Amino acid sequence: MNYSPVFAASRITVSINPPSIQANMGDKITYTGTITNNSDKAVNNIIAYISLANVTRGKESPMDLEDWSANKAIKVDTIPPRGTYEGKWPMRLIDSGSYVAYIMVVDKNDNIPVSSAMSRLEIKRVLRLNPNNVLPVALGEPILLGIVFIFIYFRRKRVK
Amino acid sequence: MIISVENLVKKYNGYTALDGLNFTVEDGDIFGFLGPNGAGKTTTIRILTAMIKADSGNVLVDGHDVVKEPLAVKRIINALPESNGYYEWMTAYEYLEFFSNLYEEKASKQDIHKLLEVVGLHGKEGHLIRSYSRGMKQRLGIARALINRPKLLFLDEPTNGLDPKGRRDIHDLLIDLNQKHSTTIFLSTHLLDDVERLCNRIAIINYGKIVRTGELDRIKGKGTIEDIFFMSTKEGAL
Amino acid sequence: MKTAYIMQKEIKESILTPKGFLWYNLTSVILSVLSYLFLTNSELSLLDQGEMLYMIMNFITALGVLIGLVFGADSFAGEIERGTIEALFLSPANKTEITMGKLGAALTNWGIIFIISLPYLFVVGKGGQNLLTGIAYLAILGTLLVITFSAFSMGLSARIKSMKNSLIISFFIFLLAGSPIFLSAAQRKTWFGNILDLINPFADAINTFDSVVIDSQGFSYQIGRVAIICGYTFLSLWFLKRSASRLEM
Repeated sequence: MNYSPVFAASRITVSINPPSIQANMGDKITYTGTITNNSDKAVNNIIAYISLANVTRGKESPMDLEDWSANKAIKVDTIPPRGTYEGKWPMRLIDSGSYVAYIMVVDKNDNIPVSSAMSRLEIKRVLRLNPNNVLPVALGEPILLGIVFIFIYFRRKRVK
Repeated sequence: MIISVENLVKKYNGYTALDGLNFTVEDGDIFGFLGPNGAGKTTTIRILTAMIKADSGNVLVDGHDVVKEPLAVKRIINALPESNGYYEWMTAYEYLEFFSNLYEEKASKQDIHKLLEVVGLHGKEGHLIRSYSRGMKQRLGIARALINRPKLLFLDEPTNGLDPKGRRDIHDLLIDLNQKHSTTIFLSTHLLDDVERLCNRIAIINYGKIVRTGELDRIKGKGTIEDIFFMSTKEGAL
Repeated sequence: MKTAYIMQKEIKESILTPKGFLWYNLTSVILSVLSYLFLTNSELSLLDQGEMLYMIMNFITALGVLIGLVFGADSFAGEIERGTIEALFLSPANKTEITMGKLGAALTNWGIIFIISLPYLFVVGKGGQNLLTGIAYLAILGTLLVITFSAFSMGLSARIKSMKNSLIISFFIFLLAGSPIFLSAAQRKTWFGNILDLINPFADAINTFDSVVIDSQGFSYQIGRVAIICGYTFLSLWFLKRSASRLEM
């Protein structure tokens, strides 16, 4: 499927990089958004924000990025004529699945917001069986206490 | 005089349980305390053992005021309440050892074993109380009441739940305690046979008042203890 | 000394019997499941170390308080219902000694729960900041909370003399103490939520854990909340003393 960039009747264009990412759950990535002012006048006070949509089959939905990213929206004071601005969106990959990420730019002097192309994001689930060496404690302590319990039980039973 | 009770009054929510009780108990008595249900027997015992406070009146136990010197009283007395519960997860030995530890003079291991033997629980000291019959628990309760070698022993229905042999054994034990160890016994019971066999002095209580008190033989006269009891506690006897 | 013997008896009953020890078995199983889930579950495992530690600390505190409430409800009412309290009152042990013995046993229960929890705390908080500080705060505030709720529950037990009723009221108090948890994040930030948070000793403890473990704030930030918790502790102990001294058969 091809995603054609959207060129609106706007002074601004935006692109997202990298165009696709494959990563694991828990990884930290950074998207770079390049906002270009194609006009001869400076653009001021524009807002750029990143969005994520889950396109995993059966789970299609927009994503709440609260746990994924601390700074979803950036305000850009000014981009000079024919100038560019590069914004960074760091992200922590919370859940596995297929996603698309895109950056929207809003200029209040325009009629429509501007979007970048969609960047594909594939996040793989990682199976961790014994993180932080939890198993010896998670299994060992109940077993140990169970042994003590059995000892107490039979000691009282013998007394009876 | 080991017990002196003067004008004892106790009320519960407007109901008068004890209405100016007066009586005395002499050293060395086996004193029978009789009365119908609700007459005030248990309330009296609880006041005498410093477990509850009276509303008014004076109570001296071996010269100690039960209100001002409860600790001094508790050191020389002990009691087996009518509804005595047990720590059923303990063994008989552990049970007696626990209570012994609460007194200044603790009973030794041998004393505890001897005591269990005296009440007929020899060989059962290592068993959980949970496994005891009602009669065995009653014997254990008596053992607990004797753990501090009390000068004065209060017993509320001590032969409850015992078979005839068990009752006779307890009678013999109490007589032995009284005669050989000079223990004064305050016995609250419905069983007039027990009174007849054990007591030298009695008091009959009804509606919170003493209706008769004195030497058993003198009170009985030519009648029976049953006659005296029913006569003293019938409606209008006060 | 009598206090020690009574405490020993209570401890044996609540710890060294199969029924009593079962609580600890259940505690360790629940903590095992929780800590394993925290560290392996896809979403939970991506929480900060500090957040995981904070959540486990809250759970341990809640568990300690709950067990303290149950123990407290049984302390006097249970003995009255089982008929064992008269023999205790007949002994030379006075009510203060009996009460302190029972409270000491409640604290010992908490101590054991705390010790059982330590390996889990280390495993969940490993690599994160403020682990030892968090554990220290858990030890201190957890102990104060257990004293507060146990003493209150014991006082109720002495007044009501019914284990069932004092247990019901104690659970109600527990829910009330935990009520800030049921408010949404937005509601908790309102003036009502703030007041509820401040006057609630349980919420004060949880917020202190948050402040220390997640926000790395020092003791000066905690003084107000710790003072409130201490105030509740004294109040509960006073309530217990009064209730026990008035207890009569």
